[in-house]
Amino acid sequence: MDKTLTHEEQLAEFEARIARGEKIEPGDWMPAEYRRQLIRMISQHAHSEVVGMLPEGAWITRAPNLRRKMVLISKVQDEGGHGQYLYHAAESLGISREEMLDALLAGRAKYSSIFNYPTLNWADIGVIGWLVDGAAIKNQTMLAQASYGPYSRAMVRICAEETFHHKQGKEMVIQYAQGTPFQRQMVQDSINRWWWPTLMMFGPHDSDSPNSAVLIKWGIKTKTNDELRQEFINEMVTDLTAVNLTLPDPDLHFDEASGNWITGPIDWDEFWRVVKGDGPCNAERLAARQEAHENGRWVRAAMEAFAARPERVMA
Amino acid sequence: MNEIGRRDTQWPLYEVFMQEKAERPFQSVGAVHAADAEMAILNARTVFVRRPACHTLWVVPHSAILMRTSEELADDEEDDADTGEPQRYQIFQKTSQRRAMVYVGHVGEITAVSPQHALRQAIDTFGSSEDVFVWWVVPNAAITSTDDDDIDSLFAPAYDKIYRQPSAYRTFTAIRKAKHSSNQ
Repeated sequence: MDKTLTHEEQLAEFEARIARGEKIEPGDWMPAEYRRQLIRMISQHAHSEVVGMLPEGAWITRAPNLRRKMVLISKVQDEGGHGQYLYHAAESLGISREEMLDALLAGRAKYSSIFNYPTLNWADIGVIGWLVDGAAIKNQTMLAQASYGPYSRAMVRICAEETFHHKQGKEMVIQYAQGTPFQRQMVQDSINRWWWPTLMMFGPHDSDSPNSAVLIKWGIKTKTNDELRQEFINEMVTDLTAVNLTLPDPDLHFDEASGNWITGPIDWDEFWRVVKGDGPCNAERLAARQEAHENGRWVRAAMEAFAARPERVMA
Repeated sequence: MNEIGRRDTQWPLYEVFMQEKAERPFQSVGAVHAADAEMAILNARTVFVRRPACHTLWVVPHSAILMRTSEELADDEEDDADTGEPQRYQIFQKTSQRRAMVYVGHVGEITAVSPQHALRQAIDTFGSSEDVFVWWVVPNAAITSTDDDDIDSLFAPAYDKIYRQPSAYRTFTAIRKAKHSSNQ
């Protein structure tokens, strides 16, 4: 961009590019606040993928059969890959991967609160796929349109893989919902525990979401938290009730006027408690990440030593 | 030095290019960190090729690539470093603003005495810069590639893992049947 322009002229040109549907790419001019918001969002998103491996990883050794085990291993591998796509997208904005990892390991970084809840039974693996990944896909499908090229591309790649995560979970939940009395009870117990935390994944109500306006103005987001949450509720209520599962909400009702399913109030005190570090598993998740990092230290040292070796002698 | 990271997780950044089938153009899919190019190939395979299809992967140190957006070119103040030995460069472009999971795609090869020289020739050879949003100039000497002998071990196993595909799950039918029977 022409360096003789004033900041206002640069900003006007930047916003015109976004209005034309162009992607902003690394190297292009962008406002400092755009960069700051993207680093905040993308790094939190990357951390969520990495920490998200933990609740599901806990069940790999206890999968009930080989097929379910292969599926779960693949899914957890994908989450690790998604974290890598996103760390790289954030790095293109000028933060290093190491800074982000340090923030995560030191407990300074935020990640999705949903992963601070425990996985207590096997049906939780299905419910995470259908509900938690379903909620994530709503958000990610929107972010695939984001104005920042690297974030958008990472999201397109992630959405394609998340569809598998979503469907394997949905398949499992439907199967158990139509299964033995014990399976039905197990999957209903799981729905009861995950429903409200899943609705919290979309973030605070629009009235309490200070970043939304600027994110929408600059084409990072195209829908608000409440809009995405309502879309999700409408789809889930219809599908879950079709397989005779119930939702833990006595106030849930259909509103003819808007065509929406209306839930009772979300417990935002619980949401903020978990965000601020006092959820059921916050300490356990952080400890697991730190332990994994420590246990990998010798591997990283070995790889560095191998890379620094003298040229191999050709036989 | 940081107490926690101890500065051992950064490593050089390698850009990853994937060719889905023989004769198809290479496309930029993202990047990985690795201590050397050999490990970058392995990381790239794990991060970007958990599913079909891949025929060949290239990794190139990020620092070896000349990258210019059209916005940067409009404000061009490139130093002319046209005094080196002639080298071969692979030229990549981004020509669309559509939703995509790949970035720049391969368009051809240029022999030039510097990356800047290669870029100027590429702009003349491969279309006007108005139609191109991003240019990458990749020196051949910086490319590490898989070869055909790697296909069986690195890429072929993904074809057997059909459970990684959404099409392996018949959830649409299951929900439709459930809705149908609950309406009876």
